[in-house]
Amino acid sequence: MHINYWQEIKTNSLGRIGMALLVLVVGAALLAPVLAPFDPFAQTPDSLEPPSGLHLLGTNDVGQDILSRLLYGARISFVTAVAVAFAATALSLAAGAAAGLIGGHFEKLVMRLADALLVIPPMLVVIIAAAYIQPGMVHLVLLLSLLGWPAGARIIRAQTLVLKEKIHVRASRTFGAGPLFILKRHIIPDLGPVLTAIFIRGARRAVFMEAGLSFLGVTDPMTVSWGKMLYHSLKYVYLDVWQWWLLPVGMALSLTVMSFTLIGYSLEEAMDPRLRREKHA
Amino acid sequence: MFRLKDSINYLVAFLIILAVNFFLPRLMPGDPLAAIYGEEALIHLTPETRSELINRFALDQPLGEQFWGYLSALVKGDLGYSYYYNDAVSAVISRAFPWTMLLVGTAITISALAGSIAGMESGWRRGKWTDRFLLTGIMFLEGFPDFFIGMVMLIVFGVVLNIFPLAGAMTPYAGYTGLAMALDIVKHLILPAFSLALVNLGGSFLLARNTMVTTLGEAYIFTARAKGLRDRVVRYRHAGRNSLFPVITHIGIQFGRMVTGALFIETVFSYPGLGLLIQRGLQARDYPVLQGVFLVVTIMVLVTNLFMEVLYKKIDPRLKPCISTTGKKLRQTV
Repeated sequence: MHINYWQEIKTNSLGRIGMALLVLVVGAALLAPVLAPFDPFAQTPDSLEPPSGLHLLGTNDVGQDILSRLLYGARISFVTAVAVAFAATALSLAAGAAAGLIGGHFEKLVMRLADALLVIPPMLVVIIAAAYIQPGMVHLVLLLSLLGWPAGARIIRAQTLVLKEKIHVRASRTFGAGPLFILKRHIIPDLGPVLTAIFIRGARRAVFMEAGLSFLGVTDPMTVSWGKMLYHSLKYVYLDVWQWWLLPVGMALSLTVMSFTLIGYSLEEAMDPRLRREKHA
Repeated sequence: MFRLKDSINYLVAFLIILAVNFFLPRLMPGDPLAAIYGEEALIHLTPETRSELINRFALDQPLGEQFWGYLSALVKGDLGYSYYYNDAVSAVISRAFPWTMLLVGTAITISALAGSIAGMESGWRRGKWTDRFLLTGIMFLEGFPDFFIGMVMLIVFGVVLNIFPLAGAMTPYAGYTGLAMALDIVKHLILPAFSLALVNLGGSFLLARNTMVTTLGEAYIFTARAKGLRDRVVRYRHAGRNSLFPVITHIGIQFGRMVTGALFIETVFSYPGLGLLIQRGLQARDYPVLQGVFLVVTIMVLVTNLFMEVLYKKIDPRLKPCISTTGKKLRQTV
């Protein structure tokens, strides 16, 4: 049975909402320099202003325009999400496919490591490591991807084990195809939707964790990030500023996470025959 | 029926944690003592304390010796000394530990109870609008970061409505005793615990709902209905009881997530648990405390997971497929 995944997501209402939200976030991230009315770092004397025609979401305690910071914050979230998801998926693929194809002690070793990493709460490891390294963007992405591969690797290994016994793969092996060729030609193309699902899950986790880490203040202080803006508004919870300091940022963060959740969910629905709804019956 | 094989993952995880804790400070460039204790602490050290510390951590020895020294200190329960709190790390942690446990325990109880009741009702009315509403609502809630929910709760119930206290675990210097003290603690606990429970409602909700849906197809439910029992009795006494079990077993998986969530919730509500220790530790670069909390929390999560895993297999061998440590949720059947 052939499934057109893109079609599935498009016709699924949850998937459509998810895509729309994602387009919104990506748009904000890409167009931030055009859309933002002010420099997100520029400190002006107009501090603690309520929303007005000039500052649509008001200004913070040092007079920075909140809307501009919100738009620029989308960049950090989005770049972290894509970079981490990409690196973690690549690691998952490398570890999972290699374990599945090579087998033997190597497979046991990799899977043991994956299982062990899965029982450690990743957030704690990132926090403790971040406390020492005080990571910039690159280090943060590295850290998050290094901890994000095990779940994906398990899934990919399981799929690889099934795929490598398929007739066409066995046939290609009888013609002398090596593991790398099989991986490139037969395994990876068939893993497409699984990889997409792993990618989306990784992106979702990365947005979550980046926000959490910058909330705790362990990321690069020179970046504009939603987590940091949230922490900042926590300190001013006693002033009556939360309506525009806290809610827009929190909603933006939640909607980004949700867009990934919804897309992932609709993709899962498309892939899992038990969850598929009969449309053409 | 405890088998060594089950615990190997946890053993490897434990070794990884130890390695992270041991190597991170020593891999940092510069003075290892500065990395272990933080720059600020070093300024106040006299040469004697300095050499005593170097001796204590065997920092002038090869790495193997250092690791041995680290391990033997750990076995004795010595987690180091915090210059920020001016106290032994183990003492600082043991003061904060009960609060985190209280918070996480309450939140788990709330989320398991509320989640399974909502799940049962939802599964009973599968496809009706109550079900749709609960399902989307709870999926929606799962998308919120814990600290954002916490802050919204703090503002709505603490600042705007002013029903609950804004920070802390009890009113300082109020001198309450007995019942008044217990009430005070509960009052401070409600907001953080509910925030934490709310974000983590999804797991138990989905489990209870799915089990309810499958259970309703069983013959004994048909029999119960044929006997003319009232809906409520069938729903809770016959079907409901069976959907509780997976929820209880799910707690182990949830524990790790909850503890991590609690770290953030505590920061929001200035709740004096381990999370606040981490947050303060990060700001003050108080490495010994950070390492201590990291070690204590991860070990706690590992032990709980291991315990639950062994327990499930003992109670119900049927559950094997859904207790994988991957924390993967059971699929939803819509």
